[in-house]
Amino acid sequence: MKPITIFSIIILSTALILGATTNTAFAQDDPSILSKIAKRAQEKIQNQITNFTSDETKTLFEDGKKGILALETALSNEDLALAKQEFLSTMKIFAQVSHQLASNQSSQIEPSTNPTTLDPSNDLLRMKSYVTSLKAVAENHNSTVEFSPLDKLFTIANAQIKSHQYAKATNTIQEIKNTIVQLNEELRTQTSQQESNRAQIFANKYLQQIDRILDHGKKTGMSEEIVLKLENAKESLLLALSPADIIKEVRNILLIQNQFGISETNLLDLRISNSEQKILEISNSGQFTQNTIQGMNKNIETIKNHMDKQEFEQASELLKALETILEKIKV
Amino acid sequence: MLFVRTEGILNTMIKVPILLAGLVIIAIGLPFQASASSTRTLDLTMYSDGSTHISSQIDVDPLSPDFELELFGPSVDNFVTVGEDGFLLSSEINGTKAFIETFGSSSITVDYDIHDLISKEGRVWTFSFNATSDYSVVMPSNSIIVGMSTIPKNMELIEEQTKLELSSGPAEINYILEAPSNPIDTPPIDPNRPGEDYTIPIILGGLIAAGAVGASIIFKRTKTKSSISIQEETTKNVIKKEFADPQEIFDFVPDMREDDKKIVQFISESGGQVFESELRKKFVQPRTTMWRAVKRLERLGVIEITKKDLQNLVILKKDLEEEE
Repeated sequence: MKPITIFSIIILSTALILGATTNTAFAQDDPSILSKIAKRAQEKIQNQITNFTSDETKTLFEDGKKGILALETALSNEDLALAKQEFLSTMKIFAQVSHQLASNQSSQIEPSTNPTTLDPSNDLLRMKSYVTSLKAVAENHNSTVEFSPLDKLFTIANAQIKSHQYAKATNTIQEIKNTIVQLNEELRTQTSQQESNRAQIFANKYLQQIDRILDHGKKTGMSEEIVLKLENAKESLLLALSPADIIKEVRNILLIQNQFGISETNLLDLRISNSEQKILEISNSGQFTQNTIQGMNKNIETIKNHMDKQEFEQASELLKALETILEKIKV
Repeated sequence: MLFVRTEGILNTMIKVPILLAGLVIIAIGLPFQASASSTRTLDLTMYSDGSTHISSQIDVDPLSPDFELELFGPSVDNFVTVGEDGFLLSSEINGTKAFIETFGSSSITVDYDIHDLISKEGRVWTFSFNATSDYSVVMPSNSIIVGMSTIPKNMELIEEQTKLELSSGPAEINYILEAPSNPIDTPPIDPNRPGEDYTIPIILGGLIAAGAVGASIIFKRTKTKSSISIQEETTKNVIKKEFADPQEIFDFVPDMREDDKKIVQFISESGGQVFESELRKKFVQPRTTMWRAVKRLERLGVIEITKKDLQNLVILKKDLEEEE
């Protein structure tokens, strides 16, 4: 076998092996994180075990400690599969111990949805994060929405929480929420025009596509039923003004396309194949020079390139021009 | 006894070109398989009161007027979704579904808070999640993990908060909050902050190693050949590539789009060559949009695209006149 062939096979095989193992690379790179997590858990649970803890829980905890030793042994032996197994079983034991310890304090599972009435810090953080998102949107839209009143309220709430005035902070956060509702409405009103414009641009693309499909359809013998349905759908889309109506009409067009298996690519392919057939006939007739035939074939190639890049408009225009020339040629 | 001639057995038993073609096809297919999922990124940040912030970037069909997003629960607050250009997209939430008017966007970013992923029993909090893609999760400040049903891919500690990288599939994490913390003083870290990613060094290291092995084989087989030709090859490889100055390029193509100019500027600042994936990351553009931009620049004759490590390497051209 040639050296270059051997070299290529080695490179490709290595790339394949590495590519396939990329997803699991992290845990295998630093398996010590498993030991770190387990040890921290052990330490935390150890602090909670008292003389009042049941023997059953204590025994279970001892099993967990043994699990960590087994995990460390597996890691030192570089047996990652065993280490993972030991990690999962140890963490399962620690979860059980934690739940048993917790059941002594409370046997009721509480949903986390009740916000604490004592410290509203998390609520404030969530609001800050939300406002940060809204500010970014406002900036992208060049919106005139004023965020400074909110910033002031955030500063006040921060100070109140730091001085443990939680009741006051809760009231300020409520004020923040009310202000956000107003700002949100204002922002959405300001962005609605741009949204409407985007919807209209999107609708226009579909209108152009239907025109092209109808054009292809006429040249490839599309049934009158489909042509009629598409023309009606186009009419409805033309009349749609609101984004919601545009969505409804575009969905209708997609439904028709799916129902009859119409795609611009298929229709273009059919026309290209017709043109190729015609070029072949012209070539066989011997009436034209080889340069002319080559030029036509080059055009077909360009059209196909446009299609590969999903540049249907350019492909259609070129094909239309080529078809006009081909129609004029009588073989 | 049966004697088998081993010399040239590969040539005899299999067709090398077919083997090579097969490997090439599989190698090319791998990145596409990896990127088939519609969720590009999924980052979770847990708060100490049991709520979770979700931030996700999702690839959507640009030909579809809207997108139906399955939320991770019904208790959703502060929902914001923007298109790839950062424009606000209208949406409506119904139960665990969000209907988003995308209007041609090929990528959307969704942010919301959710209260359905974490429950509490005594002092133990339990985070239960079932993701369809890999994701990151930032634990609350001062939280200690005391139970885990999945193997983390990576873990790092950033400003007293543990950030875990987890694989898709069901996961349960039990944790205890060590002491009442004031999250105002320690805000949640940015989940998008880069961690230590060893993927590229591993691949490059592997390729270098494979290259070295292959080269040594070639060397052994071709050592009888003239050493002069080897010297010439080496000299060719160490020639430092130069590239045109951005301003020179802008003067050369005066009607270049502003966004394309930014791409040229970035490539120039990165030493004249970058991977297309780096451009996508830098300009937060979907694969198709960036590919179109890169092809546009190639047509203008200011860059050339080559393959390196199965990726597209975009290189600023040295001589603009030659292209004309």
